[in-house]
Amino acid sequence: MTTRDFTESEFMICQCARLMEDGKIVFIGYGMPQIAAILAQRLHAPRMVQVYEFGAVGPLPETPFIRFTMGGPRNCSRSLAWTNMNTIFAQAQLGVVDLGVLGATQIDQFGNINSTMLGADHARPEKRFPGSGGANEVLTHCWRTVIVVLHERRRFVKKVDFVTSPGYLDGAPGARERAGLPRGTGPWRVVTSKALFGFDEHTKRMTLLGVLRGVPVTDVLGEMEFAPLVSDKLENLEPPTTEEMHLLRDEIDPSRAIIGKATGV
Amino acid sequence: MDVLQAGIGEFTVEEPDALRAFMRSEKRREMVEKVMPEAEAVRRYVKDGDYVSFDFSSFTRGPASLIREIVRQRKRDLWFAAKFTLMESTLLAAGGCLRGIDVGFLGLGALIGKAVEQGRVKVTEWTNGTLALRHLAGAMGVPFLPTRSLLATDTLTYSGAKVVHDPFTGRPIALVPAVNPDVGLVHVHQCDVYGNARCFGPGVSPLETAMASKRTIISTEEIITTDDIRKEPSKTTIPYYLVDAVVYAPFGCLPGGAQGLYEMDTDHFMEYLAASSDEQRMGAYLETYAYSVASHDEFLEKRVGVARLMELKRQATIKEGYH
Repeated sequence: MTTRDFTESEFMICQCARLMEDGKIVFIGYGMPQIAAILAQRLHAPRMVQVYEFGAVGPLPETPFIRFTMGGPRNCSRSLAWTNMNTIFAQAQLGVVDLGVLGATQIDQFGNINSTMLGADHARPEKRFPGSGGANEVLTHCWRTVIVVLHERRRFVKKVDFVTSPGYLDGAPGARERAGLPRGTGPWRVVTSKALFGFDEHTKRMTLLGVLRGVPVTDVLGEMEFAPLVSDKLENLEPPTTEEMHLLRDEIDPSRAIIGKATGV
Repeated sequence: MDVLQAGIGEFTVEEPDALRAFMRSEKRREMVEKVMPEAEAVRRYVKDGDYVSFDFSSFTRGPASLIREIVRQRKRDLWFAAKFTLMESTLLAAGGCLRGIDVGFLGLGALIGKAVEQGRVKVTEWTNGTLALRHLAGAMGVPFLPTRSLLATDTLTYSGAKVVHDPFTGRPIALVPAVNPDVGLVHVHQCDVYGNARCFGPGVSPLETAMASKRTIISTEEIITTDDIRKEPSKTTIPYYLVDAVVYAPFGCLPGGAQGLYEMDTDHFMEYLAASSDEQRMGAYLETYAYSVASHDEFLEKRVGVARLMELKRQATIKEGYH
């Protein structure tokens, strides 16, 4: 594949939207998850309920999306309820939030994620990032979590420099529960710019489930420090459809704040 | 209770009876007018070395004019609760005001990251949720609250949380210490001269922040009568006796927006983002928007202007729920 008429962000947003089910309560953060949620609601999940860490419940955001819009009126438009941070994280801890969506700087084979720092010394990191935000809560409490990450070797590492938010820890059976984390939770899917991963039921190892149509599997595996399991029923992931692209570019994010500048068009 | 794990991050926790004694003697029960200029509020209630907290975000209903005043007064050695921060931490760090940050979300732009990498600003790790929970514990006057967040992470290791066996179920659970900020900054839509205050729309933790803080400075878009407050008490977010100062600050969230009143200034945020990765440009940014103007009024007059204000007001077409 030499040129393509969609951006990496557009593909990840569509993949993410495809994983959002109708009728579920979904924890949404800034950027790609917002756009994916609007897309899912327009296409197949009109009764999905978005919740935000500042307490908005069930908004039907205005479009077009305007950069930096999150806690403001355009994103919180037509909500079912406006609460606050303690209330909404309590609801996640209570077990009524079905799905969360997160980004990551680094991720390991058990889905532990780093969004805090690179280096070994916490007091003098080589590179400092914003930190947890609400990510730790999302990966701890939501029943399922989707992690969205660019498919780059430096991001798929054997060991993350810092565990900001907990995946399946060391992969041992019951490791999350033993640590006191809610039973039956954890990373569910990893959406990348080239592929889709899940986690093996028994070993909790990241498992390649699908590859973007036209991308060789070796391209996907070559861009990872660790070797994931590979499903024997590997799926072809379809590029964004005409309808998805129309909604993203013409209606949801025409200024391309999140979907990115088109390449190869 | 056996402590299974203890985070090594720096934090302080208030002794509950000392806190109660403070609340008894220092929080005035009589309704007295508390309206004062921002310069006086910050001079009176923000001291070098204080722990400072604020509510909501840089984009929405944040106390931006008060943050600029802290920078303008060149406060030093502050510890800042960054429970949902995007630009506040960067402005305070660039202004040389910060000793450390409770993260939360550290903020946007390379400069604040660099300040941490070079050891100029210390960090204790938390999460947005556990920082809000620490404010709730502080607001309740209890020394800690339990949570299942943080467990099994390096975030916990570099926090001040402790893991214990929950005495009721025997399972591991994290305890986060209360925080009682020396000063809390909350921007509100409306309040009376005594500090009975209304915030509309969603938020992070306006009431918890006002309750937990030893001193609470409110900045407000509008000052209304106490009669109006009494007509619709379900709209009151914060009662007056929690409030120490009221600052009249229309457009006080700029470059962020106040829901229903004016939209955030996206162009300004692009200018800020460009400056937030470069020391010289950030210095120029602070000079322009904080040091070279004497007050929020002068900031509005000379750095924003009537045309821009009217445009941002015009853009606030969604009113539903914000009044």
